[in-house]
Amino acid sequence: MPSSPVTPPAIDVRELRRVYKAKPDDVTALDGIDLRVESGEFFGLLGPNGAGKTTLIKILTTLLLPTSGAARVFGFDVVADTKKIRRIMNMVAGGEQSGYGLLTTREQLWMFSQFYGMPVRDGWRRVDELIEAVGLSEQRGQKVHTLSTGERQKMNFARGLLNDPWVFFLDEPTLGLDVSAARAVRELVVAWKAAVPGRTILLTTHYMAEADELCERLAIVDRGRILAIGSPAELKKRVQRESLFRLELTSLGRGVAALAALPGVVSATLAGDQAEAPDDRQTVIVNLALSDDSALGGVISALGPLGAHIVALQKSEPTLEDVFVELVGRGFTQEAGDAGVFPAPGAASEARTGRDAIAAVHARETAEDGATADEDERAGATVEPAREPVEPVAPRR
Amino acid sequence: MSGVEGSSTPGKVAAGLRGRADFDPARAEGHGLADSRRAFTTSVRLGWQIESNWTDPLLFLIFLVARPVASALILIVMLEVISGGANRDLRAFVITGSALWSFVVAGMAGLAWSVLDDRERYRTLKYLVVSPSTLVVMLLGRGTARVASGAMGAMIAIGVGIVFLGVPFDVTRVDWGLLVPVMVVGLASIVALGLLLAATVLQSRQDSWSYPDAVAGALFLVVGAIFPLTVLPGALQAVGLLVPLTWWLEGVRQALFPGALSSIGGAGSFYAQVTGRLTPSGGEVIIVLLATTAIVTLAAATIYGVSERRARDRGLFDRTTGS
Repeated sequence: MPSSPVTPPAIDVRELRRVYKAKPDDVTALDGIDLRVESGEFFGLLGPNGAGKTTLIKILTTLLLPTSGAARVFGFDVVADTKKIRRIMNMVAGGEQSGYGLLTTREQLWMFSQFYGMPVRDGWRRVDELIEAVGLSEQRGQKVHTLSTGERQKMNFARGLLNDPWVFFLDEPTLGLDVSAARAVRELVVAWKAAVPGRTILLTTHYMAEADELCERLAIVDRGRILAIGSPAELKKRVQRESLFRLELTSLGRGVAALAALPGVVSATLAGDQAEAPDDRQTVIVNLALSDDSALGGVISALGPLGAHIVALQKSEPTLEDVFVELVGRGFTQEAGDAGVFPAPGAASEARTGRDAIAAVHARETAEDGATADEDERAGATVEPAREPVEPVAPRR
Repeated sequence: MSGVEGSSTPGKVAAGLRGRADFDPARAEGHGLADSRRAFTTSVRLGWQIESNWTDPLLFLIFLVARPVASALILIVMLEVISGGANRDLRAFVITGSALWSFVVAGMAGLAWSVLDDRERYRTLKYLVVSPSTLVVMLLGRGTARVASGAMGAMIAIGVGIVFLGVPFDVTRVDWGLLVPVMVVGLASIVALGLLLAATVLQSRQDSWSYPDAVAGALFLVVGAIFPLTVLPGALQAVGLLVPLTWWLEGVRQALFPGALSSIGGAGSFYAQVTGRLTPSGGEVIIVLLATTAIVTLAAATIYGVSERRARDRGLFDRTTGS
């Protein structure tokens, strides 16, 4: 949603740097970031662990000071105007079990409503509305320590909305959740954004499908730098130089070479293991790369004379991982030990294991030198870049 | 999307999630003291719930009574064994000192443990920090809850001493004019020391749950809680006289038990050598208590401010150690 002329940008970051002191070398978590997010945008920061996403959110939420550069939230400076920023924003982080376990869900939320400065009665009313909205009606009187991980994250989400934030920071909000709970949280995010379209969301995630599904614009971040900014479609277009189609045919007597020779066809190959054992198949699947979509008509026209009939035709889209690989020269999996997809059953424990390993590294390092770098940032700091990152793309204004 | 899983109706979802009108810069302004008062009272309530909700009320009451009484009894038994007979003055000295000291420990530890609890155990510290409320106000509220439970324990222990252990107490002889200001200022000094501890544990990345006990243990030696300062070397007596808690204990004893054994003065004491008087007067106790408390409070406020700023610089608010 475009902002009105008088509304300052929801987030305005210029030359932002954050360096953690560490031995033997300092760790640069943010390396001169420039970012502008307009009011009303659903903006995502996509990157592997250690990319600097959490550090940026910590600075924007006034939890951490920048080393240099400037960051403003709705025109308020993150260093000088902390109170003002805290009154208009809120945050929810994933992958943690936060909450006062001895309080009930309702008590816990009411308590935070008071810390957010709400009058007592307004606080109770807002808490009850949000409990209903996030689907915790049955758990309202339940003590927090008895809630499941997903329920606790819903409660956290309700806490984040208590003060009706103008800008809502979501730091890996589905991390550690099972499929159903993660979906419920994503639905809540979408429902809130639909209910209050003028509000801004900044989401960090390393689940590419999540970023693709939710965000209007994205910044791909790696090693403290923004590599590219744009809508998911724009970003994917960067790596799509040819039109890709997956063609399933009844047969292809004269082979793929006949297709490859057609005008506008860049390449035609048998898909997957068909190249090794094509005779065992009832159908033939061909991956086509065309110079552009218009060449498809010629291919379809040529199939009849070739004795082939179409069973299925699917256009292949590049994924955000393709974009990341294009920009960085490696996939998420090579860095984070994470598939970069929505959490599947068991994914939570895998993610935990990864974080625990990082925490162990952190504990060792802090014990050695008293350094304080973010555990995610440290993990990223140990991997050498595969190639020079490209320059950031200017955001749409 | 079809709506939020587990919620009642889409209409209710929308009602709950809806917000107020768009960008309104006035919302970034707070309500000053009203916000602080709300944050403080909520924190007191939270602190009390955390303090008391871990068990059923009866068990909590037993715990509240048993802990200070047991501490006092241990000291009494030791005293009886060592001295070989009842010394009522010294017994009263030990019981009141021990009871009041449990109050001091509760007050000092309250703020520090709130930091540790919220950061390490509940993982809520970062959410409190990024709320519009002032962190130190919330910590003071949490500390107040512990002070309240500590005060109850202290009163119960002194009551047990009076009823069952022969502590000579006469309500008509209580010097209220001394007791009230001494309690108020003394409480401020306890909170200031607690703030210093909170500032310290905010910086620590290791298990620092025992810091309050360690500091309280060190102070216990020099403040005249269970023995008069005269038994210590002159240098330690001098150190004790710089601590506001020494004067607070002396003031409370003088107010509750007029003419009782002094923890500061006495023949041959460092105090007597310096001032030429055997024991301090009530007025002198109040003045010195005020002065030392002012110094400690100023130092605590300054150090806490530096600590909070450093925690924000180093990212320590959400740095858990797994302890």
